[in-house]
Amino acid sequence: MEKSYLRLIEGNKKWAQEKLKQDPNFFKGLVMGQNPEYLWIGCSDSRVPANEITNTKSGEIFVHRNIANVVVHTDMNLLSVLYYAVEVLRVKHVIVCGHYGCGGVIASMSNKDNGFVNNWLRNIKEVYQKHSKELLAITDVKARENRLVELNVIEQVRNLGKTRIVQQAWKRGELQVHGWVYGFEDGLIKDLEVMMDEISDLEPIFRYEL
Amino acid sequence: MLATYNQLFHNNKKWVQEKLMQDPEYFIKLGKGQSPDYLWIGCSDSRVPANEITGTQPGEMFVHRNIANMVVHSDMNLLSVLSYAVEVLKVKHIIVCGHYGCGGVIAAMGNKQYGLIDNWLRHIKDVYRLHQNELDAITDPAERAKRFVEVNVIEQVADLCKTTIVQNAWKKKQPLAVHGWVYDINDGLLKDLKVSVLNNEELHAVYQFETQ
Repeated sequence: MEKSYLRLIEGNKKWAQEKLKQDPNFFKGLVMGQNPEYLWIGCSDSRVPANEITNTKSGEIFVHRNIANVVVHTDMNLLSVLYYAVEVLRVKHVIVCGHYGCGGVIASMSNKDNGFVNNWLRNIKEVYQKHSKELLAITDVKARENRLVELNVIEQVRNLGKTRIVQQAWKRGELQVHGWVYGFEDGLIKDLEVMMDEISDLEPIFRYEL
Repeated sequence: MLATYNQLFHNNKKWVQEKLMQDPEYFIKLGKGQSPDYLWIGCSDSRVPANEITGTQPGEMFVHRNIANMVVHSDMNLLSVLSYAVEVLKVKHIIVCGHYGCGGVIAAMGNKQYGLIDNWLRHIKDVYRLHQNELDAITDPAERAKRFVEVNVIEQVADLCKTTIVQNAWKKKQPLAVHGWVYDINDGLLKDLKVSVLNNEELHAVYQFETQ
């Protein structure tokens, strides 16, 4: 077996020692439980680690990462995360964070057969179709990709708003849903300024009587 | 409430400055693509950030995190991550990492109803039933919960090995190991459960797929 995984165990020991040097009570504080303010829904891409790029510590962000930060309304995996974060932990902000150069988004724009992943990427193709007029008007391919990354985030923010879980939290006046994009070129996060915090932001058909 | 998330933008700018100070080319290099060796399947719990606790940098680890680090064989979310990581990125190691004190595992041990999430926790209840004799024999509830966390990881490792995605990689002689670890929030240390799997030979015959 290739042994490169042992590096992670070594890295862990070093990290734990450093944390204890900085604060002998670091782990004692964590054992008491978690009380994060944020739920992060981001891409699995290895270059977009939630805590590093937001400079947040253990305990601050509840995290779900999947291919291309997609929110599918029948996905029990994501829905369970959302339910726990909003109903139990009562996070104040849900952040959908995409990133430029996203392999999943780029693949969805093409007609290439990606096998099994096609099923998942279909969700992004539908975002493309919904916004095809705007996207087709962009002649530069790179610029079109970048815009689809943004539109994908915007649609996932809306998909969150369409869930009963989020609408109930809105009724309590407790939750904001944000759409952000991270760029490798400068490492900066851009706020797409599509924050939703009330049911009236949605088309009437998606509003539940709660 | 309105302004708290602005802190994250402030933090992000600070992080970028630090990275650029260490290496002015840092982001240019990252933009070229990813080639991670590892796929991490961990818990969404805010106290278990994959990169921090393994001392790894952006670009090193492909990450999926869900409630109680579960591998459900019909979950298109996880399967899409697995397919991309194994077939496209060709990661060499898949790590299922649980953690002691996992809220999902503890909830699955009880009989309380929580709502929608009960459907997800049902998969962990099935793990309990598989290991009922061992778990019931542990009288201290805290010790039983700890062991339950471990056997849950072990079953998720097995569930990964039961997928055609992992078995086909092995058939193609692609180097791929599946590991089961537990993180201890008490001391910050990772424990290797020593259940690494490198082929499908240990699986019950009914789960062993023939070459396509």
